[in-house]
Amino acid sequence: MAKRLLIVLALFLLAMMFWEVAANYTERTALTPIATHYVAQGPDEVGAPNLVTAVVVTYRGLDTLGEVTVLFLSAVAVGLLLTMGGLDQKAEPPTPASEIVETAVQYLFPIVLLFGAYIFVNGHLSPGGGFQGGAVIASATLLLFLALPRSKLRHALLIITESLSGFGYVLVGVLGLVLAGGFLDNRVLPLGDYGRLFSAGAIPVIYTFIGLKVGAELSAVLERFKGEAS
Amino acid sequence: MTDVTLAVVLPLLGAFLLPLTAHRGLHWLGMLLGPALLALAALLLFATWTAFESPYAIALGGFAPPLGITFYVDLLGLLFALAVPLTSLLLWPGGSDEAAIRQQSLTLLLAAALTGMALSGDLFNLYVFYELAAVASYGLAASSATGPAFVAAFRFLLISALGSVVTLLGIALIYFKTGTLNLAHLATLSERLADPQGLAAFAMLLIGFGVKAELFPVNAWVPEVYAATGKRVAALLAGLASKLAVLAVVRILLLVFPHDEARQLLLLLGTLGVLSGELAAWQARDVTRMLAWSSIGQLGVVLVAFSLPGKAGLIAGVTVAMHHLVVKSALFLLADRWGGAVDRLKGAATASPLGAALFVLFALSLLGLPPLPGFWSKYLVLSGLAEAGSGMQHLALGVILLGTVIEGGYLLRIITRLYAAPERDIVPPAHRFPNLFASGLLALLLVAGAILIDPLWQGLNTLAASATDTQVYVQTVLGGKGITR
Repeated sequence: MAKRLLIVLALFLLAMMFWEVAANYTERTALTPIATHYVAQGPDEVGAPNLVTAVVVTYRGLDTLGEVTVLFLSAVAVGLLLTMGGLDQKAEPPTPASEIVETAVQYLFPIVLLFGAYIFVNGHLSPGGGFQGGAVIASATLLLFLALPRSKLRHALLIITESLSGFGYVLVGVLGLVLAGGFLDNRVLPLGDYGRLFSAGAIPVIYTFIGLKVGAELSAVLERFKGEAS
Repeated sequence: MTDVTLAVVLPLLGAFLLPLTAHRGLHWLGMLLGPALLALAALLLFATWTAFESPYAIALGGFAPPLGITFYVDLLGLLFALAVPLTSLLLWPGGSDEAAIRQQSLTLLLAAALTGMALSGDLFNLYVFYELAAVASYGLAASSATGPAFVAAFRFLLISALGSVVTLLGIALIYFKTGTLNLAHLATLSERLADPQGLAAFAMLLIGFGVKAELFPVNAWVPEVYAATGKRVAALLAGLASKLAVLAVVRILLLVFPHDEARQLLLLLGTLGVLSGELAAWQARDVTRMLAWSSIGQLGVVLVAFSLPGKAGLIAGVTVAMHHLVVKSALFLLADRWGGAVDRLKGAATASPLGAALFVLFALSLLGLPPLPGFWSKYLVLSGLAEAGSGMQHLALGVILLGTVIEGGYLLRIITRLYAAPERDIVPPAHRFPNLFASGLLALLLVAGAILIDPLWQGLNTLAASATDTQVYVQTVLGGKGITR
């Protein structure tokens, strides 16, 4: 009873807090000074037409490294949990998909991979980036597993991709520390011509590492969840 | 290459590379990699500490604050940052099989994240590192791979995820009201947060960061996790991770919310933590739960100390926090093989005389027996409370005194069992050497603290003088030319 009362009290206090916030809300009509700087100076300073990428990869690059690491961590933790066993009950052998589906997947799989790569390589030019491209790549893996449940990924390759792309990302960051203004400075490479594929300094390199890493990690997590479906 | 950013980057690099060493003949490399990188990070921070002259800011990516993320290097940050690799080394999980490598990866990531929390001068960046530390903690909490550990870790995850969401809301609210995330820039705009909305934002941040700081309403995960997981992990979470969460709260309190209401809120929650933690510890029947609840009570004292305004509060807070780091880590290490009911500890001192003696030493310091450092830390808090003198502070003073009496009760209960005659010749197992060695080192540190009280006091005064001076922080980071509006 006392516990219930406490919960109700806590919820009431939270509700009061949120009410306080909501009741005093007024819409902002102008950009903040910092946002104004990003919009006005971003193209010159960073060289990326996609300003979201400019903020995410350069101005606040350390946060992005942190987010990539959170995903890496989750993959490690999933690995830790799912290799500890418990999920080895014998499942019914899956019914094979129809020939049309199986054939279509074989043609679609490389195209989806290519599209994922396109999204992360062009992250500084068009909407998208490393995370999105990596997720598209993982969706190719999911497609493969759905159509051909017996397919196996080369686990060692995934781990190597994951580790080396993470290592590469941090290394580019350290290069920024040595050669340019600070850790994760994208100006270790020339900013190049605005709007070209090879421009905006190290952003395409960083996004390639992130795309590969996210793709490999999410694929590995999918495979863990699939288990030993035979 | 003395950039302290590397102290965050090196463990991160190690964590990415460790999975590669699971293959072929690379085990020796895997065994060396983590400790070597942590030692390097510690050396780097120590070199920065000895060469320290005045606080400075590092603009990551070369973008001047408040545009980019800033690291702020002062004695307070360096002290906590230095504690991270040292404690992680001391509590390093050995081994070279796949599970051990994953656990080492998690430990390295935890170290990277906690070091980042000590140095970061950006509200959102603090949150990112906090999240990183939290996810690493779930993994570590579940790493002993038993049923209870999974349940406890899952509960931890739920509470922590809720806290994270609420914190994110709080940060969004602060960003909405000020348009910035840089702590120094926020310090110049703190008047905008001196209203009920601002206080609500502070409360939201407390709920999130409070989960790891074992703050009163969001600490229900603590006893389960510490009881179910390996004691090295418990020591890492209770001793180290909680302190960095406290540091984050302190930075935010000093810079962004220098208002009385915020301090009152912290004082209230801290006092409730002392009361609830100590009472629950009194009721606990096994050693690890007792230590876990007691840790909640101790962190309550830490938060009460930091809620005191000015230099005195900061000195008291840092002293209690560092003392708790040393003592609680050691107590968890010593309790490694003392699981189960307290009554089963009878005669443990005959099997492990040194371990039992160390336990007594740490317990006495925790209680505050002069001349051990625990006495000074408690004395600083109590005298600070007595001087500050409002009704709430006197109440807190009373609660801490009462908590100390209760603490004495349950710690003595353990100690008398340790030295009681063994029953039916069943004696709890002796300590493992690594744990005994690590807690021995911590005991040396404790005794050194008692002997070197004068230089420590001098150092703490310098540390606190610069850490409480908001102007120094703002000037250092923004150089007086920050973007204002």
